[in-house]
Amino acid sequence: MYNYEWDRLRTWLGQYGAIDENITKPEEITRIDLSGNSLKTLPSNFALLSHLSILDIRRNSFEVLPEVLGSLALRFLNASGNKLSDVSILSKCQQIRVLDLSANALKEIQFSFLPELRSINLSSNFLKDIGAFLPSLANAVRVNLNNNLIENIPTSIGSLTALEEIEMIDNRLKTIDEAFFKLKVTNVNLSSNRLVSLHLHTLESLEVLTLDENPFKSVTFSKNFAPLLKEFSCDSCSLEEFLLPPSASLEVLCYSSNSIVEVPKEISCYTQLQELDIDANKITDLPDTLANIATLQTLYAKGNPLNPHAKKVIAILDPEICDLNMKSGITIETAKEEDLKEMAELLGVLFAIESDFTIDFEKQYAGLKQLLSYEGSNLLVAKHENHVVGMLTMQRLISSAEGSFIGQLEDLVVKEEYRKMGVGSRLINKMRALAQEYGYKRIQLAADINNENALQFYTRRGLKRTHLSIYHYLIP
Amino acid sequence: MKTKEQILEMEICECGAKNVAQAIEIFGDTALPYKKAKKLVTECNKSCCRVALMKVYDMNLFGHFDYDEIAYLIEQRLERLKHLSEGME
Repeated sequence: MYNYEWDRLRTWLGQYGAIDENITKPEEITRIDLSGNSLKTLPSNFALLSHLSILDIRRNSFEVLPEVLGSLALRFLNASGNKLSDVSILSKCQQIRVLDLSANALKEIQFSFLPELRSINLSSNFLKDIGAFLPSLANAVRVNLNNNLIENIPTSIGSLTALEEIEMIDNRLKTIDEAFFKLKVTNVNLSSNRLVSLHLHTLESLEVLTLDENPFKSVTFSKNFAPLLKEFSCDSCSLEEFLLPPSASLEVLCYSSNSIVEVPKEISCYTQLQELDIDANKITDLPDTLANIATLQTLYAKGNPLNPHAKKVIAILDPEICDLNMKSGITIETAKEEDLKEMAELLGVLFAIESDFTIDFEKQYAGLKQLLSYEGSNLLVAKHENHVVGMLTMQRLISSAEGSFIGQLEDLVVKEEYRKMGVGSRLINKMRALAQEYGYKRIQLAADINNENALQFYTRRGLKRTHLSIYHYLIP
Repeated sequence: MKTKEQILEMEICECGAKNVAQAIEIFGDTALPYKKAKKLVTECNKSCCRVALMKVYDMNLFGHFDYDEIAYLIEQRLERLKHLSEGME
């Protein structure tokens, strides 16, 4: 039987490219993307979409969430980047689990308790008083209230019994109610607020606490504060004293850009500390005990008037990454003819690790020379004091799978004394940007399965390992 | 709709007086984590341009730049500041 309303809705959705032509019935639609139009409302026959669970209406011109949403079984709604000041209809969306209302004009929240809601983003609105609506989020696990005008964390925060992560960056927080400290949260970020005094206690599940950019005059801890705390950051907080949170599980401690004069010898109690950031302070000396922290891999200590003893402690500690050891002035450039000899020598370092290849300077030089003149290739070098210290090449291939050009990366190598300084990352980033500029659909590379460092490096930079293996046959 | 060149010229950070192109270049020239790298752009400890700047940093890290997204985030912040100065609060 002909359904006139469905036909109209299909046409309406079709004009925004929001419906697949194979769809024949409204019940077949489970998700719709209407983002980036100038919509101010939705048609009433939207209610026909009884199975719609994911709706994306971000970047439109809605001032009020349309009534028709109340008749849908939505589980995910993205209404970010509109002009919303009224979202009261959400009270009827009792099945909603994920809600993005960021970058709107909300001054207050009018919806009632949403039992299924797990994640809500209310950042970049104009919320001032959140006391009344927090109980509506009682089952939320993640709450983002960044970039609002909130001045205090009210008592009603205690109603968020399922909360695990809360962000309230860039607000005007001056006070925090005691109820906050009883939460079971694991991640809290209260950076860029107006907190002056804070006594930290309980928060028994807390693992990450970030308090950067608050004008603290006093931060104190109770012994029972966050026994599971792994990361604590208090950058740019006018601190004069090095704070020692009681957790023995601390892995990351950040006090950059403060006025700290001394690192206490008790720092050695953090036997699991992996990263310490004390750059841009007034520290002259470091305690000998710092050198005993065998787990410490990263140390930022630049911008301090360190004396010779402090430098000796750092030398004994010998962290994997240390900003004092980082060389400045390393540039990433397109390779030139005069770089080829140094590049060929550098390939020797790579081939010494990779058992499939043998070192032969003449062959490597000849290969690089050919590559330099080949139209579909890119050769990047990292240079320091006019010498090549790292390199990466890319060749254009045609992929039948992608139906387009792709880039084959090869020859990524960095001189031993320039490793752990991010040179490899910079080479990869630059090459990826070039691949994007050329419209390549993919970049790919082969790595020696025994080179564990290389495999980890690529994975950390977002490259995914495939199920393919490389076979080769040498032509005599 | 702005062109890529127009977007690259948009100011992303008032404190450091840097445009998008300069921020991309600075992030491309460092391997520091965001908290450290952003100071090279902003030359300050503030976080007013955080949303757009962090996006540019991530885009640099993953090698794919969505210039329209960058322009949108910068404009969105300016619009918000305008609202606030007009007494929206």
